Amino acid sequence: MSEAVLPAAAPPRQGRAWRFRHVLLLINLGAVAAVLALWWAATRFGWVTPLFLPAPGDVWHAAQIAMRNGDLLLDVATSARRVFLGFGLAALFAVPLGIVMGVWLPAKAVMDPFVSILRPLPSITWIPLTILWLGIGEAQKIAIVFMGSWVYILLYTVESTRRIDPLLLRAARNLGASDLAVMREVILPGALPGIITGLKVTLAISWACVLSAEMIAAQNGLGALIWQAKDWGNLPLVLVGMLCISLTVLVADWAMLKLERLLLPWERSRRP
Amino acid sequence: MSTILSAHRVTKSFPGDGGAPLVAIHDLSLEIEEGEFVCLLGASGCGKSTMLSMFAGFSQPTAGQVMLRGRPITRIEPRCGMVFQSYALFPWKTVRGNVAFGLKMQGVGRTERNARAQKFIDMVKLSGFEERYPAELSGGMQQRVTLARILAADPEVLLMDEPFAALDAMTRQIMQEELLAIHEASRKTTVFITHSIDEALILADRIVVMSARPGRIKAILPNPLPHPRHVSVQLSPEYAALKAQVWKLVESEILAHDETARPPKDAPRPTH
Repeated sequence: MSEAVLPAAAPPRQGRAWRFRHVLLLINLGAVAAVLALWWAATRFGWVTPLFLPAPGDVWHAAQIAMRNGDLLLDVATSARRVFLGFGLAALFAVPLGIVMGVWLPAKAVMDPFVSILRPLPSITWIPLTILWLGIGEAQKIAIVFMGSWVYILLYTVESTRRIDPLLLRAARNLGASDLAVMREVILPGALPGIITGLKVTLAISWACVLSAEMIAAQNGLGALIWQAKDWGNLPLVLVGMLCISLTVLVADWAMLKLERLLLPWERSRRP
Repeated sequence: MSTILSAHRVTKSFPGDGGAPLVAIHDLSLEIEEGEFVCLLGASGCGKSTMLSMFAGFSQPTAGQVMLRGRPITRIEPRCGMVFQSYALFPWKTVRGNVAFGLKMQGVGRTERNARAQKFIDMVKLSGFEERYPAELSGGMQQRVTLARILAADPEVLLMDEPFAALDAMTRQIMQEELLAIHEASRKTTVFITHSIDEALILADRIVVMSARPGRIKAILPNPLPHPRHVSVQLSPEYAALKAQVWKLVESEILAHDETARPPKDAPRPTH
């Protein structure tokens, strides 16, 4: 056979790429260490007062206390559960709807005006109405996440459904595919990468939604933790809450990446 | 021999930019015999792709009829299998999944269709690549997959739209030899579009030279080069004489027309 398989990187080049990645990782760590050192120095030598920025040691101490009594983990779990339910419901609602809108223009015509009206509304603007309708319990928090997420998932789904190469649809028909088979064999897998990208982007937005909802009306969750810590003047705990949000979203992103690799094996050659 | 595919006084026009319609094909009649290998030869813009897409049922003539076994072709016709220039492989299916697609659409069970697909994968010399995805293959290998996919679906007619145009010269020659061997073994009716005189002379039993704007048949030449044919036939004096004859026909066409104002290469894409 005269042709070689494309992603056949030669070993020496692979070695260099490997080293380069480690250099980049070192730069990452160096940058973090530098900022930490600057932070430590700024508080240690009194360049900023602890009223505006607590020392790294104080934050670490606050984190240990919050971890020891279990409140912190409970707050993370509470927020994560609200995101999971609100985001999950939004995906269950918006992905099928988006596919229908993508393949059938009358459905898109029905939905487009509502999407245009709802899309610019930040999720916190739903807080008064959802409290009125649902009270201040779990359902209200989940509703806020839902309202803040579904439009984005919908837009990504519609776009990726409409962008399927028409040539592939022709090819499938030419090979004898029925309407249902075209949907199952071409439209769904063809739109899947775009849908997953949309879900990844929206997941971070969902976290922003739940935190704003918890800051305004909640007894628990990371948003409530931060807001209550502010009221008590416990600035180190505020920073602990903020770091927890970052870490949780990083973990969620990592999980989405794993899911993506599982669901989209054909994109493996495009990955580094 | 009997006629399998025919065009009867076909005219195809597209809406032009400034009101006047662009006539891609004007009053074209052609009959293709069962088992024959016909090349449609012409410069860019002569309407040869438009003609092929009407044979596949992707678009309909503005006037006249295209017919398969005496019946008008009015919708996408799986009995006329198309090999696309840009491969049109399903990126999310492996080589095996792509080749077995037509059989799956025909309702052939998994074991049976995998066994039959394997036969065609072996035929196009891709054994060992069954689990690869198209993005992991070179252009020549991808075009082989397309060929295997359409042969496995076993249509009555093969339509090939400049299938080797994107390949390098050496790979193209290998593909031509393989196609010749496949055609000589299967005697499947083939309509092959090309703008290469050499390709037409090597492959065709009959060469239909087309002229541009509007697309018409300029001449139909039987190709007396002997069978079984091999690419080395290019070295014979008969070949040189034929090539000179065809070139004279094509040359006058190219000189008569300006290259700048091209009509659309293909019909507008239907929505799904």
